[in-house]
Amino acid sequence: MSSGSKSASSVPLLVRVRNGDAFAEYRLDAEPQRTVLDILEMLRSCGEAVPAYRHSCHHGSCGTCGAIINGVEALMCLTTVASLASPRPRLPGGPAVEPERDGRGAFVVSLEPLAKMAVISGIAVSPGAALAGIPLDAAYLGSVPDDGRSPLPPEPPAARVESAVWRPAGRRPAGRVRFEACIECGLCVSACPVAVPFIGPAALAAINREREKRPERAAAMRALAAAPDGVGPCGRHLACSRVCPQAVYPGKHIQLLRTALAQADTAGR
Amino acid sequence: MCTPSIRQRHPHRVCVIGGGGSGAALAYDLSLRGFLVTLFEKGELTSGTTGRHHGQLHSGARYAVGDRDIARECMEETLVLRRIVPDAIEYNGGVFIATDDAEADYAPAFIAACNEAGIPAREVPIAEARSWEPAITPTARRTVWVPDGSFDAFRVPLSFFAAARRLGATIRPFTEVVSIDVTAGTARSVTVRRAGSDHDERVDCDYIVSATGAWAGIVGAMAGFDVPVTPAPGTMVAVRGRVTDMVLSRLAPPGDGDIIVPQRGLSIIGTTQRVVDNPDGILPDDDDVAFLLRRADELAPGFSARAVHAIWAAARPLAGASTGDGREISRDFMVLDHPGMATLIGGKATVLRAMAEKAADHVCGVFCVNEPCRTRDFILPTWRDWYTEAL
Repeated sequence: MSSGSKSASSVPLLVRVRNGDAFAEYRLDAEPQRTVLDILEMLRSCGEAVPAYRHSCHHGSCGTCGAIINGVEALMCLTTVASLASPRPRLPGGPAVEPERDGRGAFVVSLEPLAKMAVISGIAVSPGAALAGIPLDAAYLGSVPDDGRSPLPPEPPAARVESAVWRPAGRRPAGRVRFEACIECGLCVSACPVAVPFIGPAALAAINREREKRPERAAAMRALAAAPDGVGPCGRHLACSRVCPQAVYPGKHIQLLRTALAQADTAGR
Repeated sequence: MCTPSIRQRHPHRVCVIGGGGSGAALAYDLSLRGFLVTLFEKGELTSGTTGRHHGQLHSGARYAVGDRDIARECMEETLVLRRIVPDAIEYNGGVFIATDDAEADYAPAFIAACNEAGIPAREVPIAEARSWEPAITPTARRTVWVPDGSFDAFRVPLSFFAAARRLGATIRPFTEVVSIDVTAGTARSVTVRRAGSDHDERVDCDYIVSATGAWAGIVGAMAGFDVPVTPAPGTMVAVRGRVTDMVLSRLAPPGDGDIIVPQRGLSIIGTTQRVVDNPDGILPDDDDVAFLLRRADELAPGFSARAVHAIWAAARPLAGASTGDGREISRDFMVLDHPGMATLIGGKATVLRAMAEKAADHVCGVFCVNEPCRTRDFILPTWRDWYTEAL
């Protein structure tokens, strides 16, 4: 089968999707701009029994479609056929190497479920364990600087929400707002090689952001970071930062937490 | 706004089919009104149309000239959602931009229609609008402030799912309904299959609601009912970086490529519209991309120079059969009454709660349950609550 019209630029693929102990395999030609997620959707709509996979937004916003694609954690919706047919690392941070091709010249695309998460079926996982360390009430909205722009106009009475009680602690950020960059996809947790009890890079990034945004919770956040499963087990491998699709760079946040702990330690002496 | 409790439980078992935005809100609403709810979704939650939404929280301004009632409902629901899912909404307002004489002439009728619908739209000097968002085209002819925003199309429904589950609803993603038994006007059961399983499971129930959006025709046919629904996909393009914090729209009747929605670290231009038979495997139309980027540049010059992050498509679930591109079909929603079952079709993401209210009212009517809707009244749990219990 092919994706739409088969053109000269179509790329031959052998797609292998983990299904328990085995792989389900599909051969197809796809246009270079299609994504791995597009391909799974096309296969499914053509009646193929594709192992289960998670997906929702298709544009790198929801964080559901993470998988280990040829050895490296990535979002399926942002990984194009063109990138799979080009030199790329086979492990986070590794050197870019020529893509693997099978005996018939097709580019091999292996999809495995994210590590450290319970597999529901196929490559669909339940990310709860990976995200459990993120404080439930960590604010997801943050302020955006005006950056030389005028402040946004006040809301007219008919558009005002008076009675809202914002979580946490009844406080909505003032002015321009946007969501945290972290989409809680769990790629960093899957890629992290730390094998001892560890709250993980996603949680530590969220903890540091909460510390930065809400000074009144800084001490509580530092306490989470100082716990035995906090920043201590991190071995500075930086796999987390290398696979992050949102440039959150959890490794940077872990370092900032270490610095904050050291400063609080000095101040407390 | 404290934690909700169920006032009176009923023995009626309702199966909701479809784990999108309306199914999420319906599972919550029915649970709050005391029904025993089980929801089935064949894939991940919000893996149909809901999650792929560009995320505009519609004040209703876009629809005001065409349909005051839909516009009023959008405005009301905007305020409700800002109260009950505050963490999942980027509320920064929006600007409608007239780019030529015809669009400038449209402004008075547009503002009047908005105000009639309760939307506090107001014309602002172009210089003022551009002081908020310098990315707005310097050739703008008129600018109108509206109370638009954007929301996380995945995390808003997840909060509803978490709320429903706290009230005892059973939410079953990756569980596909393979057949429906409605006999002599009475729903008896649905038969489901878990992903990766060959084993069918029969789940008895007293009523069924299909909240399957663009898939409603397929699900209705399982029960032998004709459900007129038109899957109408549109293409969206996300570029990296925020062109603006406010939502930008073209000051004209709704058309293609006339909305720029900022969302997290992205700016999204949407959308186009065509009509298809099969809502599965929808791919973006490559020809749409250049068109959308060109249209975006007319509102915010330089949009197309940014790196493209993603291109995707979603199928609107238009209620009714179409003979054209579907634009003649209203964006309103409706509850279709079949014996033993109902189908909720049409609508838009912004009004997911109102859609659920109407469907739950219908179910209450069927079972003579006199319990008012209370889903406006409580702040929903965070979406992270969904993951904690799903451990």
